[in-house]
Amino acid sequence: MKPFRARGGLVVARLDAAEAGIVGLLLDQLDQLLSADAGDVGDDPVLARLLPDGHRSDPALAADYRDLTESALRSGKADDLATVRATLPPDGGDVRLDPDQAAAWLRTSNDLRLALGTRLDITEDTEPPEDFTEERDHQLGVYYWLTAVQGALVDALVDVRSGRR
Amino acid sequence: MAGPLAPERTPDTTVDEASDLDRPWVTIVWNDPVNLMNYVTFVLQELFGYDEPTATTLMLQVHHEGRAIVSSGPRERMEHDTSRLHAYGLWASYQKDS
Repeated sequence: MKPFRARGGLVVARLDAAEAGIVGLLLDQLDQLLSADAGDVGDDPVLARLLPDGHRSDPALAADYRDLTESALRSGKADDLATVRATLPPDGGDVRLDPDQAAAWLRTSNDLRLALGTRLDITEDTEPPEDFTEERDHQLGVYYWLTAVQGALVDALVDVRSGRR
Repeated sequence: MAGPLAPERTPDTTVDEASDLDRPWVTIVWNDPVNLMNYVTFVLQELFGYDEPTATTLMLQVHHEGRAIVSSGPRERMEHDTSRLHAYGLWASYQKDS
């Protein structure tokens, strides 16, 4: 991987084929989760994190908030997912994003990290894996790889915003 | 009450006299172990127009104290701010200021 960096008002990165493949798989899983029937995934902790309550102590206000905002939140996520899919080179290669596409990558990569982080019970004290002996080590590896991707993307967008390249 | 950094209104809003009556609502961002510090700072600047030092101070408050008030105003506005933060995956909620 070449991490994201600002170039002439765009942000660019390069992904290996394996990295692009992993992102593609994660996008499919996120898509499935977000489009699943509420009956099947109603109390899934990942969905609870991606579509959180708006009010913490008043169930009526929280329900009002959900009625008001959830469908827009879901359609925004679906649009972002579609944008990331459309700009992801399936066999690896350059990723070149205008600011709107970059914002979609930012939100979607954050959702992927929130989803993985929730599944893996990430805490402030979690460390990157030293050995890759168990399935969890590999998933943690993916989580920290996404963390690096997203961290570089934020820095690149800060550079774009401040006119630095 | 709102912290000293919370603006009385979000920068892109004008609030008329009448809606000032139901002012004491706040939007809160809560700490979570996943969201990156530079990401939280970036999003607060992007959504609320804060300059970088203000956004950084609010981010650090979230990180160290567990929460920070990022905007205050009428309830409808706080619902809207909360939903914009949720679109970016920040762990946000709104409530009456206490």
